[in-house]
Amino acid sequence: MKKENKVLKFLGNNSVPIMFVIICAFCIPVSGFSIPYLLNEIFTRMGRNVFLIMALLIPIMAGMGLNFGMTLGAMAAEIALILVADWQIWGIPGLILAMIVSIPFSIALGTLCGKILNRAKGREMITSYIISFFINGVYQLVVLYMMGPIIPIKHTSIKLPRGYGIRNTVSLLSMRQALDNLLAVRIGGVKIPVLTFLIIALLCLFIVWFRKTKLGQDMRAVGQDMEVARAAGIDVDRTRILSIVISTVLAGFGMVIYLQNMGNIATYSSHSQIGMFAIAALLVGGASVDRASIGNVFLGVILFHTMFIVAPEAGAKITGDSMIGEYFRVFVSYAVITVALVMYETKKRKAKSAVGQQLEAEQREEESK
Amino acid sequence: MKAKRWIYRIAAILILVGIGAVMFVIGRGHTVYFDNKKMDYNGTTLEPPRKVEVYVDGERVAKLSPKDRGMATNIGQHFEMTLEITKNKGDEPVTQEVSLELPFNMDGIIVNLPGLLADIPYEDYISEFVQTDPEPTEEDEEVVTDEFAMDAEF
Amino acid sequence: MSKEIDKNNTFGARLKSGLDSFGLPRLIIACFLLLLFAAAPFVGCDLATQITNTVNRFSWNAVLVLAMVPMIHSGCGLNFGLPLGIISGLLGATLSIEFGFTGGMSFVMAIVIATPFALILGAGYGWLLNKIKGGEMMIATYVGFSAVSFMCMMWLLLPYKHPTMVWGLSGKGLRTTISLEGYYDKVLANFLQINIGKLSIPTGTLLFFALLAFAMWAFLHTKVGTAMTAVGSNPTFAKAAGINVDKIRLLSVVMSTWLAAIGILVYEQGFGFIQLYMAPFYMALPAVSAILIGGASVNKASIANVIIGTFLFQGIVTMTPTVMNNAIHMDMSEVIRIIVSNGMILYALTRKTEGAK
Repeated sequence: MKKENKVLKFLGNNSVPIMFVIICAFCIPVSGFSIPYLLNEIFTRMGRNVFLIMALLIPIMAGMGLNFGMTLGAMAAEIALILVADWQIWGIPGLILAMIVSIPFSIALGTLCGKILNRAKGREMITSYIISFFINGVYQLVVLYMMGPIIPIKHTSIKLPRGYGIRNTVSLLSMRQALDNLLAVRIGGVKIPVLTFLIIALLCLFIVWFRKTKLGQDMRAVGQDMEVARAAGIDVDRTRILSIVISTVLAGFGMVIYLQNMGNIATYSSHSQIGMFAIAALLVGGASVDRASIGNVFLGVILFHTMFIVAPEAGAKITGDSMIGEYFRVFVSYAVITVALVMYETKKRKAKSAVGQQLEAEQREEESK
Repeated sequence: MKAKRWIYRIAAILILVGIGAVMFVIGRGHTVYFDNKKMDYNGTTLEPPRKVEVYVDGERVAKLSPKDRGMATNIGQHFEMTLEITKNKGDEPVTQEVSLELPFNMDGIIVNLPGLLADIPYEDYISEFVQTDPEPTEEDEEVVTDEFAMDAEF
Repeated sequence: MSKEIDKNNTFGARLKSGLDSFGLPRLIIACFLLLLFAAAPFVGCDLATQITNTVNRFSWNAVLVLAMVPMIHSGCGLNFGLPLGIISGLLGATLSIEFGFTGGMSFVMAIVIATPFALILGAGYGWLLNKIKGGEMMIATYVGFSAVSFMCMMWLLLPYKHPTMVWGLSGKGLRTTISLEGYYDKVLANFLQINIGKLSIPTGTLLFFALLAFAMWAFLHTKVGTAMTAVGSNPTFAKAAGINVDKIRLLSVVMSTWLAAIGILVYEQGFGFIQLYMAPFYMALPAVSAILIGGASVNKASIANVIIGTFLFQGIVTMTPTVMNNAIHMDMSEVIRIIVSNGMILYALTRKTEGAK
């Protein structure tokens, strides 16, 4: 009886990953992809995305939910990469320079985002979501109108023929997979970007270490209960802003890694769906709005991307229309986020009403005395 | 305490700016073009060799007959290559190591090989490669600020 | 006590409170629009055409903005889940054509067919929102997105056959845009249309909106309507007063969803096309920011907010491209639209005066 309960509880707590395992197990044979091909794809995508997804962990720790504002970091990175591409700095030095150049933008945007979120406590997610749209407008203003006349851009391969603004795609050929190819190891046709993984490992260590620092502890306290944290002398607002700033800077680095793998920037759309996909991947890995670990990130990347790779092909094989699969994977991403949000909110409400009932019971006891 | 924090901050900023500056210099990418063309220099005509093979990092990047142009990319200002020169048809090829310092502010650099081999001054066999727009009357590219990006890769 | 009244009566204080209630961003936007209208003749834009365009776009969008009102009133916040209602409308529109209705009848039938979908989807959506009180807006957004992407598959898979709607080549799967010529293109707009020179007013559409807006106003003054407002402004009090909070909220969500379905049909009759697939995706954002620009907040909205807001928002959307293009040969309207509309939503979300929702 008790054992059964435990099994049920495990299934309930991990319903999303289990569902994904089932989807993948069904789709892989249908798609007809070979295992080495799949492994190769998954390793590439792991290198490409894990860093980005990890940027989400710290705001979750600080109780600010899923940081839809990570797009801000992505935009900062894109601006940095456009500049570096125009300066003609190539290879790994170019990537490092892009990361450094993205930092001031990320910090500025992250601070702004954090300040706005402090004014919208309790609805951080929808607010950060709208911020990402708002800043996208500002980004377009900068990239489409200010780059050229105000911010010097020299090369016509980057600039629009009309003299200002950046082209739809900016080639990063000179930096393409510079990170992935250095120290890369091939095992049976599967390319493993060792250096990228080393960087990711460093980030994991950083996050583990960060949790133990004073600031990390403060963030967890703020995430548990803002009032209690404030009473304990923690500057709640500052801690929250810092968590967003760190997340934005990490997202910027992640975006540089992501784009060096892709090999070009889609100037006006690369960042737009990044937040959604990163969040969906994290949730697929079994994270929730208030609890996420490094393990969730890795599991999520593997499951989500397996689905991402096989869904179009499987959809095409089943229905004869390749678009079905593409729509399907987008639908699944959104559905996963929806389900996770609903589960989080119902849990929160249940906890709240439990506290209420307890208070009520205590009160009654008091009265009966 | 506060002063200490500021010192750390400024130090961190300085270190980052420093790394950035170093990256800026060592990461500057150049495209080097080798022209195997005859060249007029101080009244004398420098004739191109019959065949030149250019090796960079042990890889052959170009095999040039007279009037040919080859190219290689290089990161940083120091450029090394190995030339295998066959002066006239049937001659034994002569190998020559060449190392060049590239000017920082040029994206594309043309090296005239006959000039280089004749040991004339650096400025005279180096020139900037100016990219001419492929189509000057190119139609305005329409900017697509697509908000959906349905087929987005991730 | 009397001192305080005095204070409130001084001109400065009154001006300040008036400004506060009107809101700075709103003032800026109104001034910006006035400036555009004032500048239009000087940069060579025809004012009559501009006004016609603005009024036209107002008439297309007003019902979609009106759909925000019930949910704001019942405290469910801004209805970011508008796409759900839009999908009901699209189902009505496509099915009406599929069943062979044409002309004005196809519009009536589209409404009739859309209604049950809107009621069912709205009820499910309302039930969900009752389970997650406090987190409505974020979940509404994602419910909308999920529904849109789910329907993307359905538009391809559902057995539509009508030759004007399906892809010609394969004979199956709906087109991304379907022309409404011969169906209900401009049915409302052409009814009693007024033409004075270049100025033309789509009277029918405006009347249709007025009818719905009046019905909404009247509803809000019925017993159920006041209960809805009570639930929105103070749910604990409403509960104590014996109002079934969940039921009222459910009703408001269903109303919102139904109005969204009607709203998209009105939009289509003005625009002349049905847009499927990803088109409804971001349709909630303009409607949300329009009502906020009109003076609504996260938990307060009136019919006047809808009218003012839609007019201001659509005015800016139609005026900026032409005026800007003529003045500086640079079309920044898209960027301005993004910044203004999302900035407005941000402003509303960060107002401290509103209770955490």
